[in-house]
Amino acid sequence: MSFFRWLRSNSEHALLSDAQRRMAARYGANPPARPHGLKDRWWRQVFAPVYRFLPWGLRRSTMQAMPGSHRMGWPKPEYLPPGDH
Amino acid sequence: MKIVVIGGGAAGLGVAGAAKGQDPSVQTVVYTEYEDVAYSPCGIPFVHGKEIESFEKLFLATKEQYVAQGIDVHYETTVESIDTRSRTIKVSGEGEVRYDKLVLATGWNYDTPDIPGAELGGIYHVKNIRAAMEWDRYLDSVESAVVVESGPIAMEMVSALQHRGIKVTLIDPGPWPMAEVIDPDIVEPVRKDWADSGVTLKFGERVTAFRGKDTLTHVSTTFGDVEAQLAVIGSHKVANSALAKAAGIKLGSTGGIAVDPHMRSSDPNVFAAGDCAEIPHGVSNVPLQGLSGSHAYAQGKTAGINAAGGSRVHNPVYVPWGMLAGQWMIGGVSFGETLATALGLPFVTGVADGITRARYYPGVKPIKVKLLADPSSRRLIGAQMVGGEGIKERADFLGIVARTGVTVDTLATMENVYSPAIGALNEPIAMAAQALVAKL
Repeated sequence: MSFFRWLRSNSEHALLSDAQRRMAARYGANPPARPHGLKDRWWRQVFAPVYRFLPWGLRRSTMQAMPGSHRMGWPKPEYLPPGDH
Repeated sequence: MKIVVIGGGAAGLGVAGAAKGQDPSVQTVVYTEYEDVAYSPCGIPFVHGKEIESFEKLFLATKEQYVAQGIDVHYETTVESIDTRSRTIKVSGEGEVRYDKLVLATGWNYDTPDIPGAELGGIYHVKNIRAAMEWDRYLDSVESAVVVESGPIAMEMVSALQHRGIKVTLIDPGPWPMAEVIDPDIVEPVRKDWADSGVTLKFGERVTAFRGKDTLTHVSTTFGDVEAQLAVIGSHKVANSALAKAAGIKLGSTGGIAVDPHMRSSDPNVFAAGDCAEIPHGVSNVPLQGLSGSHAYAQGKTAGINAAGGSRVHNPVYVPWGMLAGQWMIGGVSFGETLATALGLPFVTGVADGITRARYYPGVKPIKVKLLADPSSRRLIGAQMVGGEGIKERADFLGIVARTGVTVDTLATMENVYSPAIGALNEPIAMAAQALVAKL
C-alpha cells in the first residue's frame, strides 16, 4: 500500500468515526465503537481533533496536494467562470 | 488501429461499443477471465430474492450479438502483464498480444476482512453470475445466514435472504447501516423495518472467525457465536488495479488508476474506466473510486471514444445514488451530513417530510428530503432521502442541481408537477429548500 493510500485510508476512518459520533449525538443513534489500540486512539483522538481545528482552506489545500486523478486537468464545476477557483 | 480492453463488465463493454461507434474500422478485442461479459451484478440479489425469475435476464446481450458488432471477446482468458514500452500484453494461452491503445476496465474486488476460516465453503462474495447460479441452489438448503458489513449489495441481500425465508443476522462494525455514506436519521426507517421483520441487527460488532469443518456452520463474533450455513461478505469495493501498478501506471490515493478527463492514465496509450479508476468529486475535488454501474458505463464510453481517436471530456462526478432497502427506497447526491462533517465542509441543512402523491390518492407514501448547502455560495452540495417511492428521479434531478450550481433559493421557489396519482401539491425538495433558506 502506498503512503498516500495508507494516509487516506487511516484519516478517512478516523474522521468518519468522529463524524459518526457527532451524528449519533445529534440524532440519538447508536454511537461508533470506542477506539481500541494505540494506533486507533492516535488517529481518532489526536488526528481527528487537530484536523477539525485547522481552517477549511488549509484542509482543502492538503487534500489537493495528494496525488491522483484530481491533479490531471479535470474541468472546474460548470458554474465557475474559467480561471475561478 | 487495435484497441485491447481488459475486463468485460459495464466499463469494458462500454469501451468496446463506443470505440466501434467512433470508428467502425478499429479492431476491438476484449479479454475477460470470466465466462460471461456485460451482465448486471447489482441484479443478483433480486434473483436470489425471487423478484427476478432467472439470471439470464441480467445479461445485456448475447455472445452472438457481440460477434455481430465486431467485438472480439476472449472469455476465460487471463491477462498476466502489461509492457507499456513495447505496447504488448502477455495473455495466458495466447502469448504476447500487441495493442495500439489499451483500456483497463479490470473492475473491483471486495476488501475482504482478514478473518480466520475465510476459506470455508458457505462464504459468499456476491459478484460473479455463474457463481451466483450455484449459490442460488445452495440457498435452498440454508436456514440461517449472516451478512458481514452493510455495503450496498449486502443491504439488498438482507432483503433477498428474508424473501427466501432465511433467518438473517447483520453484523457490522459501523454504528448503523452503510454508516460511511448514509446519515442515521435517513436510514432509521430501514433499520426499524428490518428489526420489525425479524432481522437480527448487530451494529458496532465484528466477526472474529468463521467456524465449521469444510463448510460454515457458525460464526464467532464479538458478541458470541451465531449459527449460520451462509455468510455474505458485504465489505468495501477496492480497485482491481494490480496489473496497472505492476506496469508502472500511476495510482491515486484510493488505490484506483489515476486518469485525466479523457480517461487517459499516466501512460498516453493506456486508458482506464470503471471501478479500477478514480474520478474527482465535483464538490470537493477529492477523487473517488467504486461508484455505480452507470458511472462505469459512462466512463467506458468516454475511454472508448477517445481511444478510437475521438474527443470526449468526462465531468467530475456528483454521485446521484439510490437503492431499495427493505420496504424503503433510500438515495441522495454527493454529501450527507456525516460525510460533510467528516471532511469538515461548511454546510447548512434543510429537512422536510412530505408525501409522494396527493394525500387522498391510493398508494401515497411518505418521503423525507434533507438538503445540504454551502452557506456562502448558497449552492447545493448534497442531499439524502428516504421514502416509499420517487427517490431515483429526485436524486438524478438534484445531481444536475449540484453540478450546475443552482442555489437553494431557486430550489425553494421551484415549480413542480401536481397530479394526484403521481405528485403532491407541495414538492418535498422545495419544502426542504425553504427550511434551509430560513436558516441562512
